[in-house]
Amino acid sequence: MTSSLPGFLFAIPFFAAIVIPVVGFTNQKLCRPIALGALVFLSIVSVIGLSEAISHGPLSHEFGGWAPPIGIEWVIDGLSGLLMVAISVVSLIALVHAGPLVEKELSGRVIPFYSLSLLLIAALGGMVLAGDLFNLFVFLEIGSLASYVLVGVAGGRSLLSAYRYLILGTIGASLYLLGVGYFYAETGTLNMADMALRLPDVLDSRAVLTGLIFIVLGLSIKMGLFPLHGWLPDAYTYAPDSCTPLLASVVTKVPLYAFVRIAFWVFGMATVTTQIPILVVLGWVGAVAAIVGAYRAIWQENFKRMLAYSSVSSMGLIMLGFSLGTETGFAGGLFYLLADTLMKAALFGVAGAASYQYGASTVTDLARLRRNMPWVLAALVISALSMVGIPPTAGFFGKWHLVVGALEAEKYFAVVAILVTSMLTALYFFRMFQRVWAEESLPLVEPHVLETPFPIKMSLGVLTFWIIALGLGSDLVMGLIFESVIPKGF
Amino acid sequence: MIQPLDSVIVHTLTRVITPVIQLFALYVLIHGHDSPGGGFQAGTLFAASVILPIIAFGIQGSLSVLERRAIILGGIGILLFAGIGLLPLILGGEFLNYGKLPIPGMEASARRHWGILGIEIGVTITVAATAVSIYYSLRERGEGEEK
Repeated sequence: MTSSLPGFLFAIPFFAAIVIPVVGFTNQKLCRPIALGALVFLSIVSVIGLSEAISHGPLSHEFGGWAPPIGIEWVIDGLSGLLMVAISVVSLIALVHAGPLVEKELSGRVIPFYSLSLLLIAALGGMVLAGDLFNLFVFLEIGSLASYVLVGVAGGRSLLSAYRYLILGTIGASLYLLGVGYFYAETGTLNMADMALRLPDVLDSRAVLTGLIFIVLGLSIKMGLFPLHGWLPDAYTYAPDSCTPLLASVVTKVPLYAFVRIAFWVFGMATVTTQIPILVVLGWVGAVAAIVGAYRAIWQENFKRMLAYSSVSSMGLIMLGFSLGTETGFAGGLFYLLADTLMKAALFGVAGAASYQYGASTVTDLARLRRNMPWVLAALVISALSMVGIPPTAGFFGKWHLVVGALEAEKYFAVVAILVTSMLTALYFFRMFQRVWAEESLPLVEPHVLETPFPIKMSLGVLTFWIIALGLGSDLVMGLIFESVIPKGF
Repeated sequence: MIQPLDSVIVHTLTRVITPVIQLFALYVLIHGHDSPGGGFQAGTLFAASVILPIIAFGIQGSLSVLERRAIILGGIGILLFAGIGLLPLILGGEFLNYGKLPIPGMEASARRHWGILGIEIGVTITVAATAVSIYYSLRERGEGEEK
């Protein structure tokens, strides 16, 4: 029974994504309960999957009963189990948060919103669980198509950014597929475990090198890694507020996961640092991305655009962590990935709440939160402190482990990059706080403003709770990562 | 709604061709897994056999409602596919392992045969319904511009 868990993890959101339009056209009110029910179920199953994978080792599901490497294999191990739990829990919270926003912003498009969100979640699950490179491509494309539509679902200005995202995302996917083609030509297999066995014999071949470069470029576009992040700021700024918490928190993290899977599991640590030193290059790219992203964020007036540049910066930090080549660095990168998933969901959630209540979009507008929405403001403060890296939040421990990893690896440029990024992050968040508290010219009472809807308050509360809990329980999570996630070869 | 075309040649030919297309679609569907063809091809043929009479004879009713019905039908097709895939998974096998389908009194190879036909029917329904819904959607835009 447990070996069928990967199948269920995909089938639950996928089924719900199809049932929603079939049922929804007759009774639109049923969309939300079906979506949330499916996600609750998904979260439970993914927690079971993670605990099974930790206690009994990786679970593999062979589709159609055909044995790998010829058949298609899906695997839950420590890494994919952890990512699956993060995706399902955060997307559940994001969709709870989206409820009131969808009714306001997308009143005629409730069915496409829920159906595509679940399709996106199913595809992200498929990417995380896929045990072969081609399946990963298929789900990368399904997920990307769903997110292009989610970015543009409100129409108007967002259509342009969705179109740009579509063009760049398609180029990224093509590059990835091209790279997979090179690998297949050299090794004759697509299964990741099988390819890991066959690659050492053909590492000298230029085709493998070219394929790896294509794959890294393609995935870098998808994850919005500087300097290939061109689509990201516009897409996050103009996407509907109901979609951004989901899009910003998980969609870019999963291509990064794909990169980590290929670099550390298919190629192996030793190969990507010495024989084909792609990690060394990506370490520098990550350091520059982290600093430039944070620097650009300082100058943004629009709150969502500032957060988008902050995402570029976080992506750089995570990539930097994975590229350090030490166990602590790897674990720190993964920890910061989880922390950033929560923080970005919370911050974009606050942006959504502010625009729902006041139509607020600039950093200065956020001052109005002070008057009528103290709880939302509290969530903003805590997640901002976590972004800066103030204990005891998750962001602090993430950055701490990154710095320790960088010191262990004796890569001092990384230490400097992490510290500079933290300072720049502090600069743009403190600038925001300064605007929030210094603004005096506020209207005293705003009687037409309604109470913040309960789903928004609750989801922000839960996210903030997890940001602090992940920080306080960082030893536990790091222990788990060290025990069951770290790949061989360190 | 779509106005009928005013041409005897088109009307007569449509009457003759439509059943032939549908018969050929059924052939392509049923022989899909041991000869060229399959669900996708059969689905496009079925869609053609639906769209052709609509062009020739017109159709009553709101296009957006018709489009919505076509989308629902497409969803049902995927549900058929996914349902057949999921049954073995629930019964403790693997996704799409037709050999584990609960059909009594049948050998595993025969179960695989019928299982594949089942999912091909699901694919056919979805492809046909999607193609028809695309046609409705394009036609609806065109009418909006004419007005």
